[in-house]
Amino acid sequence: MLENLLFGKLTLDAIPFHTPIIMGAAVFMGLVIAISLGLITYYRKWHYLWTEWLTTVDHKKIGVMYLLLSGVMLLRGFSDAILMRSQQALAAGTHTGYLPPEHYNQIFTAHGVIMIFFVAMPMMFALLNMAIPLQIGARDVAYPYLNSLSFWLTFVGAMLCNVSLVIGDFAAVGWLAYPPLSELYYSPSVGVDYYIWSLQIAGVGTLLGGINFIATIMKMRCPGMTLMRMPVFVWSTLCAMILVALSFPILTVALGLLELDRFFGMHFFTEFAGGNVMLYVNLIWAWGHPEVYILILPAFGVFSEVVATFSQKKLFGYTTMVYALAIITFLSFIVWLHHFFTMGAGADVNAFFGITTMIIAIPTGVKVFNWLFTMYKGRIILSTPMLWVTAFFTTFVIGGMTGVMMAVPPVDFQVHNSLFLVAHFHNVIIGGVLFGYFAGVIFWFPKAFGFKLDEKWGRRAFIWWVVGFYLAFMPLYVLGLSGVMRRTQHYDNLSYQPYFIVAALGAVCILFGIMSQIIQVYVSFRDRKALRDITGDPWNAGTLEWSMASPAPLYNFAVLPTVTGLDQFWIDKENQLTTGRVNPQNIDYQPIHMPRNTGAGFIIAIFAGVMGFGLVWHMLIPGLIGFVGMILTGIIKTFNTDTDYYIDAETVKRTELAHFMEVAACTTK
Amino acid sequence: MTQIVTKMVKNWLKWTMLVGILLSLTACNLQLSGLLDPKGVIAFEERKLFFDTLALMMIVVLPVIIMSFAFIYHYQVSHRTRDYKPNWSHSHFLESLWWGIPCIIIVVLAVITWKKTILLDPYRQIPGQTAAPMVIQAIALPWKWVFIYPEENIATVNYVEVPVGREVEYQITADNVAMSAFFIPQLGSQIYAMAGMRTRLHLIASVPGDFLGLNTQFNGDGFSDMTFMVHAVEPDQMQAWVTQVKQSAQPLTPEAYGQLLNPSIADQPKFYNGVAPDLFQQVLTLYMNTSGTVHPRDNQLKFHNSLN
Repeated sequence: MLENLLFGKLTLDAIPFHTPIIMGAAVFMGLVIAISLGLITYYRKWHYLWTEWLTTVDHKKIGVMYLLLSGVMLLRGFSDAILMRSQQALAAGTHTGYLPPEHYNQIFTAHGVIMIFFVAMPMMFALLNMAIPLQIGARDVAYPYLNSLSFWLTFVGAMLCNVSLVIGDFAAVGWLAYPPLSELYYSPSVGVDYYIWSLQIAGVGTLLGGINFIATIMKMRCPGMTLMRMPVFVWSTLCAMILVALSFPILTVALGLLELDRFFGMHFFTEFAGGNVMLYVNLIWAWGHPEVYILILPAFGVFSEVVATFSQKKLFGYTTMVYALAIITFLSFIVWLHHFFTMGAGADVNAFFGITTMIIAIPTGVKVFNWLFTMYKGRIILSTPMLWVTAFFTTFVIGGMTGVMMAVPPVDFQVHNSLFLVAHFHNVIIGGVLFGYFAGVIFWFPKAFGFKLDEKWGRRAFIWWVVGFYLAFMPLYVLGLSGVMRRTQHYDNLSYQPYFIVAALGAVCILFGIMSQIIQVYVSFRDRKALRDITGDPWNAGTLEWSMASPAPLYNFAVLPTVTGLDQFWIDKENQLTTGRVNPQNIDYQPIHMPRNTGAGFIIAIFAGVMGFGLVWHMLIPGLIGFVGMILTGIIKTFNTDTDYYIDAETVKRTELAHFMEVAACTTK
Repeated sequence: MTQIVTKMVKNWLKWTMLVGILLSLTACNLQLSGLLDPKGVIAFEERKLFFDTLALMMIVVLPVIIMSFAFIYHYQVSHRTRDYKPNWSHSHFLESLWWGIPCIIIVVLAVITWKKTILLDPYRQIPGQTAAPMVIQAIALPWKWVFIYPEENIATVNYVEVPVGREVEYQITADNVAMSAFFIPQLGSQIYAMAGMRTRLHLIASVPGDFLGLNTQFNGDGFSDMTFMVHAVEPDQMQAWVTQVKQSAQPLTPEAYGQLLNPSIADQPKFYNGVAPDLFQQVLTLYMNTSGTVHPRDNQLKFHNSLN
């Protein structure tokens, strides 16, 4: 009895000792963790780690941690991609490849889940944390403690998903876990429960993050920054976060009901006893479609900043850009049915949703033209952020084009669920979202770390990624049109194989791209003195975040700026015909009010992880401990009144002066 | 060190491109199928629609691609163009141009979409067909398809024979398998198969031939092998085939159907003479009427352990 309450369904059999690939991965992960823990202990960095990172509420550091999480999970998600591509390249005719279906099915599920939830979303929040407060002239986000909690919940969700690799199994049902396949009858193992709880925990983190950034943007803008003076990246974030706040509750409810089905034997989505499978499909896409726009809108924001900066020109058509964003935000909620035209809805319903889908192409097209005409009559500097943009145009419009084609229901009847679809969404998610985020990371990297990323390796990474992308996904369009389905573990028609081999080669090229990026980070760190961004404005940009030192000081703005127009820093630089800086000696600084670090976010998230793991295995006591621990920590935190402190004016002056002198020394040289 | 790496990288890039190109060339003899090689009225229409949409989209896509490369090339900072206008950021004329033209294209596309969606609605009888459609009931099972010909009173597994030029109405459901989808790429549209629900699909084969049919919705371990052969023949040959099945095959008794409910992968075609007239309806109502917590097929077998 007690054993059951403590361990639930968990036994030693849950660890797949006999599967070499998994055990190899597990041993590797274990070694990496052990080595890092050992190094931390050896260098006595535990205190540093706790005070500077685990408990931090500074948005800039939280942004860095999001970036790190996203990078690590990218490696995991990409390993899955390599496994899938090699399996499909091999498994033609009588060969069935090296991955049996029960393993292969987990891999493509994990690939989708990880890439969306634990790579793209964290990378988005990394960019938001790195840039948004700085762009709106704020000293932090609206709720710094909540921000830390959001990150740690996302982190724990990702870790729960990773644990499933070694203990038990992961869902083998596709990344959206359609019932009835994800119901207990067809998927009795803990895989789907891992899926549900890692997404529930990470999803709450995302929702809280969304609310935080809405509040930040609405309430924390500096004097003079009206809505129509916000940089487009801020606008795009606001739109995306509104989508987060409206759509993530749907995900939470849908997964919650699915868990009720699985845990308590209820019948929300079963195929019998009055359950309705189609309800789940509608709910999950009512979240899932806005989710796609949650990812792409901030990328649009990044493109707007990067194109304007590297064309040394103001963004073309600011007002229409903002309206286009707003229209996309609205429309993204009334197109979800296009994901299942083939479910048997009537022709009128299908046609309606097909047409609303196409309409999104109009504001999106407008944005593309505005970016093009931002470059027109500009002075284009092809630094690495801008390189990603150049690849974005072609890649994204191809993806957008195939998207509109699939919005026509009768066309979708032919290509739905095929590799054509797979090629389409990778076309927009890699070509749009990922390229945009890469551009953004390189763009804001100096602001977060104080030095630029190495250009040479950045270019190499770019070439490998772009070549790899086209090799990997263009063959899939052809295969999809000839009727090859996604999630195929093997196929009989040998004439497909060359296409799959080319696609696998593409994946290898992308692997080199990722390796180049790792080398790029290493080389940049090694040469950080030479790559140091002294002025704080390495790209000659126009928005507020470039008006301060790099890396940004703890308090961001020594004096809160007053804004008189769009791109205030650009205006300042034009008016003063200098760098737009004033000698700190002549400024009367005030003490700056700052939030104190707190470990509560980290601890709550750890308890959430314990609860999630407990519920996955039906371990009631650990589950309860996790749940109660979460609530208690939250309550105890509210009794802590020592939540803030002041940075005195002297320290501010000293910091600002140091930066000023460094710049002065550099310019006189 | 870095030079060696650079050299290696360059070599790799060269070789990959070369291999890629060679493979693409050898791949040109892809046996065209699916949308690229339609054999039925619906698939023909869908292919035409596909290329019409592609052409319409090209009106915007091509200029964008060309402009992006042209602008990036022409306005590079090293080219020192004379017409640098850092603060030029608005033009009513240009902006109304790129709101307007996409709007027109989408209006055209929307009208086409509305018309064609109604015309190609899988539930709708295909226009121009005078005779009543022939009915085939398809049930997705773990991981195979059963086809029932109610008028002929025969049934098959993983094999369909249809007469050329005659409209066929497929009525589709699923039993003891997660949501699946019925698709014969060369004949036309796909549609989901769901337990307790009946979806419908109208197709015509225009020419004789063998076409691959498949399941497009991932539904578990046997997904990749859940294919069936579609054999389109002249009506008189079809009649001969029916007679042959009637003479040689066993009936699809409840016991035989119970056997089919067991999960299995890559089944060879099977043929049955004689089917309970309301089998399809029974399968539908079984799911609609079951209450309680136990899956209606649960007493028949445990889904997962049965394969081993």
